[in-house]
Amino acid sequence: MKISGTHEIQASRERVYAALIDPQILQRCIPGCESLEETSEHVYIATMKAGIGPVKGTFKGNVHLNDMQPPEHYRMTVEGKGGPGFVKGTGNFNLAETDSSTVVHYEGDMQVGGVIASVGQRMIEAAAKMLAAQFFKALESEIKS
Amino acid sequence: MIPAQFDYARANTLDEALNLLAQNEDAKILAGGHSLIPAMKLRLMQPPLLIDIGRIKDLSYIDEADGQIRIGAMTTHYQIESSDLLKRMCPLLPECASHIGDMQVRNKGTIGGSLAHSDPAADWPAAALALNAELVAVSKDGERTIKADDFFVDLLTTALNPGEILREIRINKNGSSQAYVKMPHPASGFAIVGVAANLIMNGSNECTSARIGITGVAAKAYRATGVENAMAGSQLNEAAIATAAKHVSDNTDINGDLFASADYRRHLAAVYTRRAIQTAASRV
Repeated sequence: MKISGTHEIQASRERVYAALIDPQILQRCIPGCESLEETSEHVYIATMKAGIGPVKGTFKGNVHLNDMQPPEHYRMTVEGKGGPGFVKGTGNFNLAETDSSTVVHYEGDMQVGGVIASVGQRMIEAAAKMLAAQFFKALESEIKS
Repeated sequence: MIPAQFDYARANTLDEALNLLAQNEDAKILAGGHSLIPAMKLRLMQPPLLIDIGRIKDLSYIDEADGQIRIGAMTTHYQIESSDLLKRMCPLLPECASHIGDMQVRNKGTIGGSLAHSDPAADWPAAALALNAELVAVSKDGERTIKADDFFVDLLTTALNPGEILREIRINKNGSSQAYVKMPHPASGFAIVGVAANLIMNGSNECTSARIGITGVAAKAYRATGVENAMAGSQLNEAAIATAAKHVSDNTDINGDLFASADYRRHLAAVYTRRAIQTAASRV
Protein backbone atom coordinates (compact mmCIF):
# COMPACT_ATOMS: atom_id res chain seq x y z
CA MET A 1 0.00 0.00 0.00
CA LYS A 2 1.29 3.41 -0.96
CA ILE A 3 0.70 6.21 1.44
CA SER A 4 1.58 9.85 1.10
CA GLY A 5 0.70 13.19 2.57
CA THR A 6 1.78 16.75 3.20
CA HIS A 7 1.74 18.74 6.41
CA GLU A 8 2.70 22.34 6.95
CA ILE A 9 4.32 23.41 10.19
CA GLN A 10 4.94 27.04 11.20
CA ALA A 11 8.63 26.76 12.03
CA SER A 12 12.00 26.81 10.32
CA ARG A 13 13.16 23.77 8.41
CA GLU A 14 16.08 23.17 10.77
CA ARG A 15 13.74 23.21 13.75
CA VAL A 16 11.30 20.76 12.16
CA TYR A 17 14.05 18.42 11.01
CA ALA A 18 15.60 18.35 14.45
CA ALA A 19 12.23 17.55 16.03
CA LEU A 20 11.50 14.79 13.53
CA ILE A 21 14.62 12.87 14.54
CA ASP A 22 14.54 13.63 18.28
CA PRO A 23 13.54 10.40 20.06
CA GLN A 24 12.03 12.21 23.05
CA ILE A 25 9.87 14.43 20.91
CA LEU A 26 8.90 11.49 18.70
CA GLN A 27 7.83 9.46 21.69
CA ARG A 28 5.51 12.24 22.79
CA CYS A 29 4.08 12.77 19.31
CA ILE A 30 3.64 9.28 17.90
CA PRO A 31 0.04 8.31 18.74
CA GLY A 32 0.04 5.69 21.48
CA CYS A 33 3.85 5.43 21.70
CA GLU A 34 4.72 3.89 25.04
CA SER A 35 8.47 3.65 24.65
CA LEU A 36 11.12 4.55 22.12
CA GLU A 37 14.66 3.45 22.91
CA GLU A 38 17.71 4.27 20.85
CA THR A 39 19.78 1.10 20.48
CA SER A 40 22.42 2.59 18.20
CA GLU A 41 22.62 5.81 16.24
CA HIS A 42 19.28 6.40 14.49
CA VAL A 43 18.04 2.88 15.30
CA TYR A 44 15.18 2.58 17.75
CA ILE A 45 12.98 -0.03 19.37
CA ALA A 46 9.44 1.22 19.82
CA THR A 47 6.33 0.03 21.60
CA MET A 48 3.11 1.54 20.40
CA LYS A 49 -0.45 1.07 21.55
CA ALA A 50 -2.29 2.16 18.44
CA GLY A 51 -6.00 2.69 18.58
CA ILE A 52 -8.55 3.70 15.99
CA GLY A 53 -11.76 4.31 17.86
CA PRO A 54 -12.51 1.12 19.74
CA VAL A 55 -9.98 -1.04 17.85
CA LYS A 56 -6.74 -1.21 19.81
CA GLY A 57 -3.56 -3.20 19.43
CA THR A 58 -0.04 -3.15 20.84
CA PHE A 59 2.79 -3.14 18.34
CA LYS A 60 6.48 -3.63 18.93
CA GLY A 61 9.02 -2.87 16.30
CA ASN A 62 12.24 -1.40 14.97
CA VAL A 63 12.58 2.02 13.46
CA HIS A 64 15.66 2.85 11.42
CA LEU A 65 16.42 6.33 10.12
CA ASN A 66 18.86 6.52 7.23
CA ASP A 67 19.92 8.53 4.20
CA MET A 68 20.07 11.56 6.49
CA GLN A 69 20.44 14.83 4.59
CA PRO A 70 19.66 17.56 7.13
CA PRO A 71 17.57 19.61 6.92
CA GLU A 72 15.79 18.38 3.83
CA HIS A 73 15.52 14.64 3.67
CA TYR A 74 15.66 11.32 5.49
CA ARG A 75 14.32 7.83 5.03
CA MET A 76 12.58 5.76 7.67
CA THR A 77 12.33 1.99 7.68
CA VAL A 78 9.82 0.41 10.04
CA GLU A 79 9.24 -3.19 10.93
CA GLY A 80 6.76 -4.07 13.62
CA LYS A 81 4.34 -6.68 14.77
CA GLY A 82 1.63 -7.06 17.32
CA GLY A 83 -1.55 -8.93 18.21
CA PRO A 84 -3.59 -7.81 15.22
CA GLY A 85 -0.90 -8.20 12.56
CA PHE A 86 2.38 -6.90 11.22
CA VAL A 87 3.56 -3.75 9.49
CA LYS A 88 6.60 -3.30 7.31
CA GLY A 89 7.49 -0.27 5.30
CA THR A 90 9.79 2.45 4.07
CA GLY A 91 9.01 6.11 3.91
CA ASN A 92 10.78 9.13 2.48
CA PHE A 93 10.45 12.44 4.27
CA ASN A 94 11.19 15.63 2.37
CA LEU A 95 11.16 19.05 3.96
CA ALA A 96 10.63 22.17 1.88
CA GLU A 97 10.94 25.72 3.09
CA THR A 98 8.40 28.46 2.49
CA ASP A 99 8.49 32.06 3.77
CA SER A 100 7.35 31.33 7.29
CA SER A 101 6.85 27.60 7.46
CA THR A 102 8.10 24.17 6.54
CA VAL A 103 6.19 21.75 4.35
CA VAL A 104 6.82 18.12 5.20
CA HIS A 105 6.01 15.71 2.42
CA TYR A 106 6.08 11.99 3.14
CA GLU A 107 5.69 9.14 0.75
CA GLY A 108 5.93 5.52 1.66
CA ASP A 109 5.21 1.97 0.76
CA MET A 110 3.72 -0.18 3.48
CA GLN A 111 2.98 -3.82 3.80
CA VAL A 112 0.36 -4.80 6.33
CA GLY A 113 -0.43 -8.42 7.12
CA GLY A 114 -2.29 -10.61 9.57
CA VAL A 115 -5.82 -10.22 10.88
CA ILE A 116 -5.72 -6.46 10.60
CA ALA A 117 -5.00 -6.70 6.88
CA SER A 118 -7.52 -9.40 6.08
CA VAL A 119 -10.47 -7.85 7.86
CA GLY A 120 -9.42 -4.23 8.13
CA GLN A 121 -8.13 -3.82 4.59
CA ARG A 122 -10.77 -1.31 3.59
CA MET A 123 -9.87 0.88 6.58
CA ILE A 124 -6.08 0.70 6.63
CA GLU A 125 -5.47 3.68 4.40
CA ALA A 126 -7.90 5.85 6.35
CA ALA A 127 -6.37 4.63 9.62
CA ALA A 128 -2.82 5.42 8.47
CA LYS A 129 -3.85 8.92 7.39
CA MET A 130 -5.61 9.51 10.69
CA LEU A 131 -2.56 8.48 12.72
CA ALA A 132 -0.29 10.62 10.52
CA ALA A 133 -2.55 13.63 11.04
CA GLN A 134 -2.49 13.08 14.82
CA PHE A 135 1.29 12.79 14.74
CA PHE A 136 1.86 16.02 12.82
CA LYS A 137 -0.65 17.90 14.96
CA ALA A 138 1.20 16.82 18.10
CA LEU A 139 4.55 17.63 16.48
CA GLU A 140 3.38 21.12 15.60
CA SER A 141 2.27 21.92 19.15
CA GLU A 142 5.50 20.40 20.46
CA ILE A 143 7.57 22.68 18.21
CA LYS A 144 5.52 25.74 19.15
CA SER A 145 5.95 25.23 22.88
CA MET B 1 -12.49 -17.57 16.03
CA ILE B 2 -13.02 -17.26 19.75
CA PRO B 3 -13.04 -13.91 21.52
CA ALA B 4 -10.86 -13.11 24.50
CA GLN B 5 -12.53 -13.59 27.87
CA PHE B 6 -15.05 -10.94 28.83
CA ASP B 7 -17.83 -10.34 31.33
CA TYR B 8 -21.41 -9.87 30.27
CA ALA B 9 -24.13 -7.83 31.91
CA ARG B 10 -27.65 -7.52 30.60
CA ALA B 11 -29.20 -4.17 31.39
CA ASN B 12 -32.95 -4.11 31.85
CA THR B 13 -33.19 -0.34 31.83
CA LEU B 14 -31.19 2.49 30.35
CA ASP B 15 -30.34 3.76 33.86
CA GLU B 16 -28.89 0.38 34.75
CA ALA B 17 -26.77 0.46 31.60
CA LEU B 18 -25.55 4.00 32.34
CA ASN B 19 -24.57 3.00 35.88
CA LEU B 20 -22.63 -0.01 34.65
CA LEU B 21 -20.92 2.10 32.00
CA ALA B 22 -19.97 4.76 34.55
CA GLN B 23 -18.32 2.09 36.71
CA ASN B 24 -16.42 0.42 33.87
CA GLU B 25 -14.57 2.84 31.64
CA ASP B 26 -13.46 0.18 29.15
CA ALA B 27 -16.81 -1.55 28.87
CA LYS B 28 -18.53 -1.66 25.49
CA ILE B 29 -22.22 -1.30 24.84
CA LEU B 30 -23.66 -4.30 23.00
CA ALA B 31 -26.60 -3.55 20.73
CA GLY B 32 -27.31 -5.95 17.87
CA GLY B 33 -23.70 -7.17 17.96
CA HIS B 34 -23.15 -7.20 14.21
CA SER B 35 -20.05 -5.01 14.25
CA LEU B 36 -18.75 -5.50 17.78
CA ILE B 37 -18.93 -9.31 18.02
CA PRO B 38 -17.06 -10.00 14.74
CA ALA B 39 -14.33 -7.56 15.83
CA MET B 40 -14.11 -9.31 19.21
CA LYS B 41 -13.89 -12.73 17.60
CA LEU B 42 -10.89 -11.52 15.64
CA ARG B 43 -9.55 -10.02 18.88
CA LEU B 44 -9.34 -6.60 17.32
CA MET B 45 -11.41 -5.51 20.28
CA GLN B 46 -11.04 -7.00 23.74
CA PRO B 47 -13.42 -5.17 26.06
CA PRO B 48 -13.45 -6.54 29.62
CA LEU B 49 -17.22 -6.11 29.90
CA LEU B 50 -20.16 -6.04 27.51
CA ILE B 51 -23.26 -4.18 28.62
CA ASP B 52 -26.16 -5.56 26.62
CA ILE B 53 -28.83 -2.95 25.92
CA GLY B 54 -30.33 -4.89 23.03
CA ARG B 55 -33.21 -6.18 25.14
CA ILE B 56 -34.35 -2.88 26.59
CA LYS B 57 -37.83 -2.68 25.11
CA ASP B 58 -38.14 1.08 25.66
CA LEU B 59 -35.36 1.65 23.13
CA SER B 60 -37.09 0.00 20.21
CA TYR B 61 -39.82 2.13 18.61
CA ILE B 62 -40.73 4.24 15.62
CA ASP B 63 -43.19 7.03 16.25
CA GLU B 64 -44.12 10.57 15.44
CA ALA B 65 -44.44 13.55 17.76
CA ASP B 66 -44.32 17.32 17.32
CA GLY B 67 -43.64 17.12 13.59
CA GLN B 68 -40.67 14.83 14.20
CA ILE B 69 -40.07 11.19 13.53
CA ARG B 70 -38.45 9.48 16.51
CA ILE B 71 -36.66 6.19 16.30
CA GLY B 72 -35.33 4.30 19.31
CA ALA B 73 -31.66 3.41 19.06
CA MET B 74 -32.35 -0.33 19.42
CA THR B 75 -34.77 -0.42 16.49
CA THR B 76 -33.52 -3.04 14.06
CA HIS B 77 -32.79 -2.38 10.41
CA TYR B 78 -35.67 -4.69 9.51
CA GLN B 79 -38.16 -2.81 11.70
CA ILE B 80 -37.23 0.35 9.82
CA GLU B 81 -37.31 -1.36 6.43
CA SER B 82 -40.84 -2.64 7.08
CA SER B 83 -42.30 0.41 8.82
CA ASP B 84 -45.41 1.76 7.08
CA LEU B 85 -45.08 5.03 8.95
CA LEU B 86 -41.57 5.57 7.60
CA LYS B 87 -42.44 4.46 4.07
CA ARG B 88 -45.05 7.21 4.10
CA MET B 89 -43.16 9.95 5.90
CA CYS B 90 -39.48 9.33 5.35
CA PRO B 91 -38.96 6.74 2.60
CA LEU B 92 -35.19 7.25 2.61
CA LEU B 93 -34.93 5.30 5.87
CA PRO B 94 -36.68 2.09 4.76
CA GLU B 95 -34.86 2.29 1.42
CA CYS B 96 -31.51 2.67 3.17
CA ALA B 97 -32.31 -0.18 5.58
CA SER B 98 -33.09 -2.52 2.69
CA HIS B 99 -29.51 -2.14 1.45
CA ILE B 100 -27.84 -3.21 4.70
CA GLY B 101 -26.08 -6.59 4.84
CA ASP B 102 -28.44 -9.52 4.48
CA MET B 103 -31.72 -10.58 6.10
CA GLN B 104 -30.00 -12.00 9.18
CA VAL B 105 -28.02 -8.81 9.74
CA ARG B 106 -31.11 -6.65 9.27
CA ASN B 107 -33.04 -8.69 11.82
CA LYS B 108 -30.40 -8.25 14.53
CA GLY B 109 -28.44 -5.11 13.74
CA THR B 110 -29.74 -1.78 15.06
CA ILE B 111 -29.69 1.77 13.74
CA GLY B 112 -28.21 3.07 16.99
CA GLY B 113 -25.48 0.45 17.08
CA SER B 114 -24.48 1.21 13.51
CA LEU B 115 -24.42 4.99 14.01
CA ALA B 116 -22.42 4.73 17.24
CA HIS B 117 -19.89 2.41 15.58
CA SER B 118 -19.49 4.81 12.65
CA ASP B 119 -18.02 2.36 10.18
CA PRO B 120 -16.76 4.42 7.22
CA ALA B 121 -18.78 2.25 4.84
CA ALA B 122 -21.98 1.86 6.86
CA ASP B 123 -25.21 3.00 5.25
CA TRP B 124 -26.97 4.85 8.10
CA PRO B 125 -24.47 7.70 8.49
CA ALA B 126 -25.16 8.89 4.91
CA ALA B 127 -28.91 8.85 5.56
CA ALA B 128 -28.54 10.61 8.93
CA LEU B 129 -26.53 13.41 7.28
CA ALA B 130 -28.89 13.81 4.33
CA LEU B 131 -31.93 13.95 6.64
CA ASN B 132 -30.30 16.42 9.06
CA ALA B 133 -31.01 13.95 11.86
CA GLU B 134 -30.58 14.80 15.51
CA LEU B 135 -29.04 12.18 17.72
CA VAL B 136 -30.01 12.09 21.36
CA ALA B 137 -27.29 10.90 23.73
CA VAL B 138 -27.78 10.21 27.42
CA SER B 139 -25.32 9.93 30.25
CA LYS B 140 -25.60 10.08 34.03
CA ASP B 141 -25.33 13.84 33.72
CA GLY B 142 -28.41 14.12 31.52
CA GLU B 143 -29.29 14.27 27.89
CA ARG B 144 -27.99 16.21 24.91
CA THR B 145 -28.83 16.41 21.24
CA ILE B 146 -26.08 16.14 18.63
CA LYS B 147 -26.62 17.18 15.02
CA ALA B 148 -25.66 14.49 12.51
CA ASP B 149 -23.28 17.08 10.99
CA ASP B 150 -21.31 17.10 14.25
CA PHE B 151 -21.69 13.44 15.16
CA PHE B 152 -19.26 11.71 12.80
CA VAL B 153 -15.80 12.83 13.88
CA ASP B 154 -13.37 10.47 12.16
CA LEU B 155 -12.77 6.84 11.31
CA LEU B 156 -14.82 4.77 13.82
CA THR B 157 -14.99 7.84 16.00
CA THR B 158 -18.12 9.77 16.97
CA ALA B 159 -18.95 12.76 19.16
CA LEU B 160 -20.27 10.42 21.87
CA ASN B 161 -18.34 10.86 25.11
CA PRO B 162 -17.25 8.00 27.34
CA GLY B 163 -20.24 7.19 29.53
CA GLU B 164 -22.76 8.28 26.90
CA ILE B 165 -25.25 6.04 25.14
CA LEU B 166 -27.12 6.90 21.95
CA ARG B 167 -30.82 6.77 22.83
CA GLU B 168 -32.85 8.15 19.96
CA ILE B 169 -32.69 9.40 16.37
CA ARG B 170 -34.94 12.34 15.47
CA ILE B 171 -35.81 13.54 12.00
CA ASN B 172 -37.91 16.56 11.05
CA LYS B 173 -40.66 15.86 8.53
CA ASN B 174 -40.41 18.15 5.53
CA GLY B 175 -42.07 16.53 2.53
CA SER B 176 -38.82 16.22 0.61
CA SER B 177 -37.88 13.95 -2.29
CA GLN B 178 -35.48 11.25 -1.18
CA ALA B 179 -33.38 8.38 -2.47
CA TYR B 180 -30.56 6.10 -1.37
CA VAL B 181 -28.44 4.35 -3.97
CA LYS B 182 -25.44 2.17 -3.33
CA MET B 183 -22.78 0.05 -4.89
CA PRO B 184 -22.21 -2.73 -2.36
CA HIS B 185 -19.01 -4.69 -1.98
CA PRO B 186 -19.90 -8.07 -3.48
CA ALA B 187 -18.66 -10.03 -0.46
CA SER B 188 -19.29 -7.88 2.60
CA GLY B 189 -22.27 -5.88 1.41
CA PHE B 190 -20.66 -2.73 2.80
CA ALA B 191 -20.89 0.38 0.64
CA ILE B 192 -18.08 1.00 -1.80
CA VAL B 193 -20.13 4.08 -2.47
CA GLY B 194 -23.47 4.94 -0.89
CA VAL B 195 -25.34 8.17 -1.60
CA ALA B 196 -28.36 9.53 0.24
CA ALA B 197 -30.13 12.42 -1.50
CA ASN B 198 -32.75 14.60 0.15
CA LEU B 199 -34.16 17.33 -2.07
CA ILE B 200 -36.64 20.09 -1.40
CA MET B 201 -38.29 20.94 -4.72
CA ASN B 202 -40.78 23.55 -5.81
CA GLY B 203 -43.57 23.01 -8.33
CA SER B 204 -41.57 24.00 -11.40
CA ASN B 205 -38.96 21.22 -11.23
CA GLU B 206 -36.50 23.45 -9.44
CA CYS B 207 -34.46 22.31 -6.49
CA THR B 208 -34.84 24.76 -3.58
CA SER B 209 -32.26 23.04 -1.41
CA ALA B 210 -30.47 19.72 -1.23
CA ARG B 211 -28.69 17.62 1.36
CA ILE B 212 -26.44 14.88 0.08
CA GLY B 213 -24.81 12.29 2.39
CA ILE B 214 -21.95 10.14 1.12
CA THR B 215 -20.58 6.97 2.69
CA GLY B 216 -17.93 4.40 1.77
CA VAL B 217 -15.42 6.68 0.10
CA ALA B 218 -13.69 8.59 2.92
CA ALA B 219 -12.65 7.98 6.55
CA LYS B 220 -16.16 8.92 7.61
CA ALA B 221 -19.49 9.71 6.02
CA TYR B 222 -19.73 13.33 4.92
CA ARG B 223 -22.02 15.87 3.32
CA ALA B 224 -21.21 16.72 -0.28
CA THR B 225 -21.63 20.47 0.21
CA GLY B 226 -20.18 21.20 -3.25
CA VAL B 227 -23.03 19.23 -4.82
CA GLU B 228 -25.60 20.78 -2.49
CA ASN B 229 -24.54 24.32 -3.41
CA ALA B 230 -24.57 23.53 -7.13
CA MET B 231 -28.06 22.06 -6.81
CA ALA B 232 -29.67 24.82 -4.77
CA GLY B 233 -31.88 26.96 -7.01
CA SER B 234 -31.09 25.00 -10.13
CA GLN B 235 -33.41 23.29 -12.58
CA LEU B 236 -33.36 19.53 -12.21
CA ASN B 237 -32.44 18.55 -15.74
CA GLU B 238 -29.95 15.87 -16.68
CA ALA B 239 -27.12 18.25 -17.50
CA ALA B 240 -27.45 20.27 -14.30
CA ILE B 241 -27.53 17.13 -12.15
CA ALA B 242 -24.48 15.66 -13.89
CA THR B 243 -22.54 18.90 -13.44
CA ALA B 244 -23.49 19.17 -9.77
CA ALA B 245 -22.60 15.53 -9.07
CA LYS B 246 -19.02 16.13 -10.20
CA HIS B 247 -18.47 18.18 -7.01
CA VAL B 248 -18.96 15.12 -4.81
CA SER B 249 -15.29 14.74 -3.93
CA ASP B 250 -14.48 18.47 -3.59
CA ASN B 251 -12.18 19.03 -0.60
CA THR B 252 -12.45 15.38 0.40
CA ASP B 253 -9.67 12.90 0.96
CA ILE B 254 -10.87 9.77 -0.86
CA ASN B 255 -9.59 6.39 0.34
CA GLY B 256 -8.56 3.46 -1.77
CA ASP B 257 -8.21 -0.20 -0.92
CA LEU B 258 -7.39 -3.42 -2.76
CA PHE B 259 -10.88 -3.60 -4.19
CA ALA B 260 -11.33 -0.03 -5.40
CA SER B 261 -8.63 2.60 -5.85
CA ALA B 262 -9.18 6.19 -4.78
CA ASP B 263 -9.60 7.30 -8.41
CA TYR B 264 -12.16 4.59 -9.11
CA ARG B 265 -14.08 5.50 -5.94
CA ARG B 266 -14.06 9.18 -6.93
CA HIS B 267 -15.52 8.27 -10.29
CA LEU B 268 -18.14 5.98 -8.72
CA ALA B 269 -19.10 8.64 -6.19
CA ALA B 270 -19.98 11.08 -9.00
CA VAL B 271 -21.94 8.44 -10.91
CA TYR B 272 -23.92 7.32 -7.86
CA THR B 273 -24.54 10.90 -6.74
CA ARG B 274 -26.04 11.65 -10.15
CA ARG B 275 -28.24 8.56 -9.90
CA ALA B 276 -29.34 9.37 -6.35
CA ILE B 277 -30.39 12.91 -7.32
CA GLN B 278 -32.17 11.72 -10.47
CA THR B 279 -34.03 9.05 -8.52
CA ALA B 280 -35.01 11.46 -5.75
CA ALA B 281 -36.15 14.06 -8.29
CA SER B 282 -38.37 11.51 -10.01
CA ARG B 283 -40.20 10.90 -6.73
CA VAL B 284 -41.89 14.26 -6.30
